[in-house]
Amino acid sequence: MMEELDLLKKDWKKSETNFQQKTEGDIYRMLQQKSTSIVKWIFYISLIELSLGILLSLMLSFTKYDKDNVEFIKEIGAYSYYVAISIILYAVVLYFIYKFYSMFKKIAVDDNTKKLMSTILKTRKVVKQYIAFNLSAFAFIFIAAGSYGFYKGYSTGIVTNGELTKIPMEVTIIGIIILIVVTAVLTCIFWLIYKLIYGWLLKRLYVNYEELKKIDF
Amino acid sequence: MSNSLEQSFVKQLKENQNIIHKICRLYTSGEDAHNDLFQEITIQLWKAFPKFRGDSKFSTWAYRVALNTAITLYRKSTRSIATIEFETTRHFIKQEDYNFEEEEQIKLLYKAVHQLNDIEKALVFMYLEDKDYEEISETLGISEVNARVKMNRIKGKLKKILNP
Repeated sequence: MMEELDLLKKDWKKSETNFQQKTEGDIYRMLQQKSTSIVKWIFYISLIELSLGILLSLMLSFTKYDKDNVEFIKEIGAYSYYVAISIILYAVVLYFIYKFYSMFKKIAVDDNTKKLMSTILKTRKVVKQYIAFNLSAFAFIFIAAGSYGFYKGYSTGIVTNGELTKIPMEVTIIGIIILIVVTAVLTCIFWLIYKLIYGWLLKRLYVNYEELKKIDF
Repeated sequence: MSNSLEQSFVKQLKENQNIIHKICRLYTSGEDAHNDLFQEITIQLWKAFPKFRGDSKFSTWAYRVALNTAITLYRKSTRSIATIEFETTRHFIKQEDYNFEEEEQIKLLYKAVHQLNDIEKALVFMYLEDKDYEEISETLGISEVNARVKMNRIKGKLKKILNP
């Protein structure tokens, strides 16, 4: 018996004349259209993500225009940390933008399939690390700023009462727990949105990449 | 300059368009989806064309870009989830070589191939196009031996679908 695929091959060759041929005009028109490839999606989504990080850094640097903030930071002796964190944030953002750009340039549709997929996934990974960094920076800053607010609010309360007592232990603990829970919830929401977007965008790519790896183990 | 580049591209694409049609046929169902993927492949080819040096034939290069687009870059648009079956795009066979049993088998085979996953389809496609295992392995980025092993598994899978 003839092999199944060879039977198909016979028919495959015959059916070649069957396609409705595109004219040169059709092809020119297609060249005017925009691509809808996932690489393009990744590019735009990554741009949004990168700018979110920049926004965060900007927001942080605006705090220095508030005299009270700076005074307070200096007062508690954290000014050098504050400056260091700002510099690190900017440096990291710049590093990631550069890395993203150079990885993105490496995506070549005429590479072999496995390499193309792995380059796309590596580009994704850069942005993923960037987001992870930003989320931890966000969590850290949120907790730091929150503790500051808590401390400040509490001490104002004390002054109006005309008493100068230490913050009771329970209040501190409850305050810290609330802060941590709020931070965790916010971080989780971001993370979830993130997973959803990429799950939707890259599911097929992951499946195919796994399949290729399985063939080649 | 860029105009003559475009002209040469359009001319070569027109001559080799059946490569793209065949890939669209394997990876989509329905005319809308077919044209959608055709367009995306055309755009990807055009974007990569300035890098095409002519070391290889246009067709060889186009195979690779077109397959990559279908497997990796293309996002099926929702409107392309059509239910039109493969047979609707089938051609007419001349009366003299009409063989009912064989025709039925071929229909089933097309259906079976459509059920394979994206990577398996790529292997089947290159097999149907008479590509050797060297080219198959280079295109997909897997070893030649493993491409062979996988191809044999696919053949077994198809046999099973046809003779349960």
